[in-house]
Amino acid sequence: MKILYVDDEPDNLLGFKASLRLDYNIITAVNTPQAKSCLDNHPDIKVIFCDQRMPGKTGVEFFEEIRISHPLPVRILLTAYTDVEAIIDAINRGNIFRYVQKPWAEVDIISAIDEASKFYTANSMLSIKNVELQKAYNELDKFAYSVSHDIRGPLSGILGAINLAREIDGVEEMREMLFLMEKSLKKLDTYILSMHDYYSLQRGELKITEIDFNVVIDDLKDIYTVFSKTNHIAFNISVEQDEVFRSDDTAVRLILNNLLSNAFKYQDKKRKGKAVDVIVKVQNNLATIYVKDTGIGILGSHIGEIFNLFYRANFQEVGSGFGLYNVKSALLKLNGQIEVTSVLHQGTTFRVTIPSI
Amino acid sequence: MNKEFSFIVIDDSELDCFVIQKVIEHTDNSLGIKTYQNAQQALDAIRNNSENANQLAIILLDLQMPDMKGFEFVEEFEKFPPEIKNNYSIVILSIISSERDHIDVRRKFASDKVNSVIEKPLTTEKLFSVLSRLRSA
Repeated sequence: MKILYVDDEPDNLLGFKASLRLDYNIITAVNTPQAKSCLDNHPDIKVIFCDQRMPGKTGVEFFEEIRISHPLPVRILLTAYTDVEAIIDAINRGNIFRYVQKPWAEVDIISAIDEASKFYTANSMLSIKNVELQKAYNELDKFAYSVSHDIRGPLSGILGAINLAREIDGVEEMREMLFLMEKSLKKLDTYILSMHDYYSLQRGELKITEIDFNVVIDDLKDIYTVFSKTNHIAFNISVEQDEVFRSDDTAVRLILNNLLSNAFKYQDKKRKGKAVDVIVKVQNNLATIYVKDTGIGILGSHIGEIFNLFYRANFQEVGSGFGLYNVKSALLKLNGQIEVTSVLHQGTTFRVTIPSI
Repeated sequence: MNKEFSFIVIDDSELDCFVIQKVIEHTDNSLGIKTYQNAQQALDAIRNNSENANQLAIILLDLQMPDMKGFEFVEEFEKFPPEIKNNYSIVILSIISSERDHIDVRRKFASDKVNSVIEKPLTTEKLFSVLSRLRSA
């Protein structure tokens, strides 16, 4: 544990270091500018002891200054018994954790460090929790919007269609409407399934089994063959696996399915020689997967955002904004990585690596 | 009275565009209707269109669209010169989850071009009340 001690008297610094160096990593500074640079160089300092009476800045002034720039380290003032004003000041302005009387006894310092360390840990855990909560809140906000647009939207459309159906006599007109209603319902269904994926990835536990990529890719081939034929998109597959690979089957399938679905969906319709390539190679306990398409590509300025929840770079096709977010969540659970390279109007390549467990 | 209005429907959902178009046709099939699933295309069409100079067009605008939200559309629309703006009246179509929502949506549109806010889905009754309000105005 790193502790910073600031005092203008070198003898005090030496004494402090001598008695505590075996148990703690003591960093010392003879003035406040030096102390500040110590804080900048060692962001993991947990406790700061600072003498009140120093030429230049007092301990209180120093604490008041750093509580904004370096809020994490726990601040402890060293002061003589007579400095009651300084102590009150330190509490109010410097927001100190506690003070230790000078001349100090080693036991007091050690107990102060113990308490400060507990306080530091509790505080950092709190700020981690706060960050997580903030993230959860932000997602909840997005969900609220999404529920109204992506769930109530199709429902109200279908209600409108049912209302209208009472006034429609023509069979052709009715058929056209039923076709659009079906499309709308399928979109809603896909949305709800992706939401379920989202939920199980956030809350679910992993189930590790042996995975044969030949089987996984064969299943996916069954799903996409019809689409690839009717839309004239070549579907090229290559799987090389000579060793055992262990991971969560559901998560691996979710990743591949989402990437493939995007690769087929975001094709450039006018282009000749449309293709989707999937290459899987398992070697040295690592699966490397490429999913390549000859699609519309992703704008450079959008690439950083495509993995965000509900983010959609393109509105030409039906999408929920869950797909790549779910891919990234799944990879996080599997300790995997994803990289994307894309050229506008040329195509996009995703490279995924997943370690065997 | 019949050819006093034409309609511009802006909604990202194909089904909603279809239903709105049919509801208008069933109410009065002499009224011109153009549908857009993309708000930007609708804006471009309004910018380039000068033919219906003497006819009021009612813009039926969906609020929740992914590429350009209804609010952004109204903002862009407000930038047009008065000789264009005066030919249009905007009616907001929105999914409304509560009475509060309704008030919030209404309040957000300070523009006097926004004639009314109605809850989706559009029905012949709702369309009828919109039309009579516009006629009496």
